[in-house]
Amino acid sequence: MAITRRIFMKSGAMTVVGMAAVPGFLTRAAMAAESGQGQKRLVVIFQRGAADGLNIVVPHGEAAYYAMRPTIGIPKKDVIDLDGFFGLHPGMSALKPLWDAKHLAVVHAAGSPDPTRSHFDAQDFMESGTPGLKSTQDGWLNRALAATSTGNAASAPFRAVALGTALPRILSGSAPALAMGSVNDFGVAPRNPQAQPLANTFESMYAGSVDAVLHGTAQETFEAVKMLKAANPGGYRPAAGVVYPKGRFGDALKQTAQLVKANLGVQVAFTDVGGWDHHVNEGASEGQLANLLKEFSGSLAAFWLDMGALAEETVVVTMSEFGRTARENGTRGTDHGHANVMLVMGGGVRGGKVYGRWPGLGVEQLYEERDLALTTDFRQVIAEAAGRQLGIGRMEMVFPGFRNPGSLHLLG
Amino acid sequence: MSRKKLVYGSLALLMVLCCCLPLIAAKHKKEKLTTPVPQMDERERAIHALNRLTFGPRPGEVERVLAVGVDKWIAEQLEPGKINDSALEARLAPYRTLRMTAAEMVENFPPQQVLKAVAEGKMAMPKDPQLKAVYTAGLARISEKKEKKNAKAAENADLLEMSPEEMTAEMKAQRQGARDHARARALDLMELAPEARTQSLAGMDADERRGFWRALSQDDRERLTADMTPLQRELLLSLENPVAVVNGELMQGKLLRAAYSERQLQEVMTDFWFNHFNVYLGKGADRYLVTAYERDVIRPLALGKFRELLLATAKSPAMLWYLDNWQSVGPNSQAAGRARPNGKPAAQGLNENYAREVMELHTLGVNGGYSQKDVTELARVLTGWTLEEPRLGGGYVFREARHEPGDKTVLGRTFHENGEREGVAALEMLAREPATARFLCTKLAQRFVSDTPPKALVEAMVATFARSDGDTREVLQTMLRSQEFWEKSAYRSKVKTPLEFAVSAVRATGAEMTRVQSVSEALNRMGMPLYGAQPPTGYSMRAESWVNSGALLSRMNFALALGTGKLQGVRFDAAKLAGAGSEAGAVQKALEGTLLAGGVSGQTHETIARQLTDPAVTGRKLDDAPKPVNQGAVAGLILGSPEFQRR
Repeated sequence: MAITRRIFMKSGAMTVVGMAAVPGFLTRAAMAAESGQGQKRLVVIFQRGAADGLNIVVPHGEAAYYAMRPTIGIPKKDVIDLDGFFGLHPGMSALKPLWDAKHLAVVHAAGSPDPTRSHFDAQDFMESGTPGLKSTQDGWLNRALAATSTGNAASAPFRAVALGTALPRILSGSAPALAMGSVNDFGVAPRNPQAQPLANTFESMYAGSVDAVLHGTAQETFEAVKMLKAANPGGYRPAAGVVYPKGRFGDALKQTAQLVKANLGVQVAFTDVGGWDHHVNEGASEGQLANLLKEFSGSLAAFWLDMGALAEETVVVTMSEFGRTARENGTRGTDHGHANVMLVMGGGVRGGKVYGRWPGLGVEQLYEERDLALTTDFRQVIAEAAGRQLGIGRMEMVFPGFRNPGSLHLLG
Repeated sequence: MSRKKLVYGSLALLMVLCCCLPLIAAKHKKEKLTTPVPQMDERERAIHALNRLTFGPRPGEVERVLAVGVDKWIAEQLEPGKINDSALEARLAPYRTLRMTAAEMVENFPPQQVLKAVAEGKMAMPKDPQLKAVYTAGLARISEKKEKKNAKAAENADLLEMSPEEMTAEMKAQRQGARDHARARALDLMELAPEARTQSLAGMDADERRGFWRALSQDDRERLTADMTPLQRELLLSLENPVAVVNGELMQGKLLRAAYSERQLQEVMTDFWFNHFNVYLGKGADRYLVTAYERDVIRPLALGKFRELLLATAKSPAMLWYLDNWQSVGPNSQAAGRARPNGKPAAQGLNENYAREVMELHTLGVNGGYSQKDVTELARVLTGWTLEEPRLGGGYVFREARHEPGDKTVLGRTFHENGEREGVAALEMLAREPATARFLCTKLAQRFVSDTPPKALVEAMVATFARSDGDTREVLQTMLRSQEFWEKSAYRSKVKTPLEFAVSAVRATGAEMTRVQSVSEALNRMGMPLYGAQPPTGYSMRAESWVNSGALLSRMNFALALGTGKLQGVRFDAAKLAGAGSEAGAVQKALEGTLLAGGVSGQTHETIARQLTDPAVTGRKLDDAPKPVNQGAVAGLILGSPEFQRR
């Protein structure tokens, strides 16, 4: 049975005039519940501020690495070795078990081919999915939703969710997508049971508004509010023994797990984590980057454990707008660079391996003699992960104009 | 009349208009502050001016602007120095840090580093008894932190900080006991008058008071301090968290100014330039540097010459800290490689963070035609522009020893070795680049006119920018005289940012806002924390950045909370605002008139009206007496309506 969005909206509108529960959204919730199991999903994480990939997955087999980073290089003794050449920053230890279990893969020297070193532009390009092209209106993750075999017709309100107070560029576009700062606050006066008539009034106001921008968003919003209410995911407790690190990123992943487990039909989730722009006193095994990595890797590991069996159907991809200079700068930090590292983790991932061609850190091997050169376009990684998880046959719609050099065979 | 005739008729009219337009425009160019084409009517012009040049109209303000005359009112706003703002000054008076230098703030509200220095005997304990209490409490906090670290190592974690999942039943009971005890004590304290209560709390042993506060619920804490004066609250807060006083008062000042300053355009422009030259309050020493930055650098120059503003920001401690230039050292300078007296290794090289952002974000724009080479060269030019003890609130200083010797070339122009003046010359060059004018004027037009500003308007502003040596006031005048600004399609067409929305709601209700924390917290939920944009780009002014599901709900919730008096520290008399009547229709009409100057759509009006009368909604049975209408809820619905989201 296909309940189209339009029919749902019609029935939704009826509740406004004071009718009791309309079974429409309950049916929808039930449908989502049915499809929840066995549904593949993609979680995308953006490290905003340009994370220092060379200190996250460390090429400890490169003498040049240590020569260029006299105070911030990660000493060999502290690196968590992965394959004899690369190793994890000690702050990433929480992810080592995933590596050992072959659920975590690394793609090094990856990123956006555009040469910009502007945070703003580089993020924009990585989110639009069209490096170098500014006129693209929507984000690639939104286009990926539309490119699935079911397309927009099958859109459940929670199909695409961004945990955060803004809808990011990557998810903006024609396919509906939610932004929520907090699951518990998602509603009109959510803690006041008497407020339902006010919520209905707002819904009706926006439903009839000629203001196209606000109208469309409000429609998606109220649909989602009702569905969330029906699923009643309040009072979430992570799986036994799982403790998310305190902080915005851990909270976001915890709520992502909460929504997925509530069987709301989450197919795509996005969240970002800032604070990577370490121009000064970046630190080595300890310090600013180390602290952030503990939070970052701890949250990812908690999410993995918390998801339990559902993790098998989930793929998480991380990205950051560009890497940082191979050499440390004059203030024991790093400036804006070029290629970076991406992590791919999930049930279907052929983990325990570092992918991508390593370009080396010799002066002549560096990009513009200062940055890690790029050997894997981030779209190659995404095409594989999104293609598999969302069932996209032709990636041309997601990454127009991108000539994919071929599969990395990241997913089994 | 046939359809065809209508079309032809309109076409003819259009042609006549098209022919006349240039004539009208030319004629009006000579007159001061008049609009060429009959676009908005006078009342719409007044509302539009208030919507775009202020943080939103207050009750009765449209009429006041009409009485003065829209053009005259605009001319007044462009000369903020001549506007009496004493009522605002009185509101700001209790917040001491707003008048302090950074060094004074550091002394009176000591950060961790200063407390540590005192603990280690490197700095003296202050003599003033009240200040001494603040330092003593701070030292107690530090030693408690140390103990906690040890306790944590011994797996004896703090009960009040644990999450329920981590606790045993016994632990929970223990925690409940602590909470009950604190509650009982709070009730006793409530018996005291505010001053006696303040003294009693301040007189507690530092550890005891800390435990007490932490065991109290947020609501109880609020109750205990609600009737205190700002100074009493400041004292108590400085005992627990001194930097929170500095940052809290900064936000208090920001929102009070936005809501109550009569110099509204100056505040709007201060907000604009702060966002353009964004710094992030949460970055280290900036917690103590931003107050002076906004007060002494941005606001005085908000309507002045861009070149001066650019130079002032470049030398401001807040910016030098935020974009790291204070640490940048010329690789071939005297200071490079020389070990510092504290034994730490020498800072010995370039940091190009500021050099890049000043071109990308402050002047030329990202496509402004500079290269990586230009970034590095400009970074060399700006070496030596540093700070003296920034963590103690020290100011800008140029240090020749850190300055990179030799010539540098930026954007094809060579800057010969000339110390500090190289940087001044380079920044002045950037301020005068055509790309800079275009970038800034586009951004201004985006703030005041449209998300996608008309090219012709931007070009006119660029011409004024070039002619006036980058005079912001003159550029704004050009914009305000343009027909694009007053086009009917522009009326209520910009989606408000969260800040604009929240403040405009406070202003529309004429609310008395005494404490702003509830508002600043709402802004966090809407994705626009005050002084909280971490990246140097600042916040977007375009609709797409602010219209999303979660934020929209947050707006509705803010509107309802404000309307129904649930926003702590913000009060207004809904009944008074709604006029004398209590009849639902009259109340609604009056509130629509006041809050939105009547600009409510039929749809919104009907929906609210239905809410007020529909028995299914009001829960009223036929034989019940009519319930008095809840004016606050009606106000909340109007403030949360689609119409109120635009300006």
